[in-house]
Amino acid sequence: MLENQDMSVQEAAAVMQDAHARARKELVICAPLVYAAWGLTLLLGYGAMWLSVRGQHPYTGPSGVSIGVVLGLAALAVAAVVVIISKTVAGIDGQSARHRSIVLRTYVTGYLILLCMQIAIKSSVSTRTFAFVAFAAPLLLAGLTYILAFALGLNRMAFVLGAWLVIVGASCAWQAPATILATCALAGGGAFLLMAIINTGLRSHAS
Amino acid sequence: MPAETDLDPVIHAPARLRVMVTLATLRDGDNLSFTRLQELLGLTPGNLITHLRKLEDAGYVTTVKSGSGVNARTSVSLSPVGRKALESYTAVLRQLLDSAGTNGTSPH
Repeated sequence: MLENQDMSVQEAAAVMQDAHARARKELVICAPLVYAAWGLTLLLGYGAMWLSVRGQHPYTGPSGVSIGVVLGLAALAVAAVVVIISKTVAGIDGQSARHRSIVLRTYVTGYLILLCMQIAIKSSVSTRTFAFVAFAAPLLLAGLTYILAFALGLNRMAFVLGAWLVIVGASCAWQAPATILATCALAGGGAFLLMAIINTGLRSHAS
Repeated sequence: MPAETDLDPVIHAPARLRVMVTLATLRDGDNLSFTRLQELLGLTPGNLITHLRKLEDAGYVTTVKSGSGVNARTSVSLSPVGRKALESYTAVLRQLLDSAGTNGTSPH
């Protein structure tokens, strides 16, 4: 390798372009894939639960099969996101690693609190309130977590998605269980998929 | 109008330019392990050390060694001076390309 060979201006520009494209591909988390994984999980998972409760009179809750679909999709999405992120950030340390850890711990802690709440309130609240805590609150929590990620400087576009998810989650407080599921599937999953499309465009433009 | 001699000679070498551009992709406050950098650039450890030493002597990169034995880690990051130097280098390169009328390739 002729590392010390003189470079022309054109060669230097080509080296810069190549190094920049390669570094972005290898060191920057592929946001479209992450958003697509969450978007499909929400759309298909909440969609499956909505289909199972659509004709229920009275409301008895999502079927075991649809809950199984949600858990399966969530497990796949988590695995995919963990692989994408850990592969990209391998060898990178410093401020963003600390911030990612804060964001992850915030969501996991919040979600565990929500699970405990579900168990605690299940028999003492209306089905509407329970549906809000079980289905819409995780989306609201995700929205707040994205706003936190934005505040920490991890993701500049996260604020828009976070604010939208908070609005969608909060709006479910006044809705019936079946409507909550449909809202989360379409407005929640749809927002993630839209972010995947927008970020695909931004990523190819930056390269 | 700048001349080719105005390009920072510390940066104006293929390997060092690639090191600088790669490290500039990281966020401020982040660093990259020596092994990952080596993997990305496809350089031998000895070659990379030589180029990093030149960049470090100019104050453009910072290397920090931590841990010991199997946990030993050398991390490399771009210093604020290095980031400014790369910006200046890119600006001069862009002007040179513009004056040469090259439209096909331009630095990012």
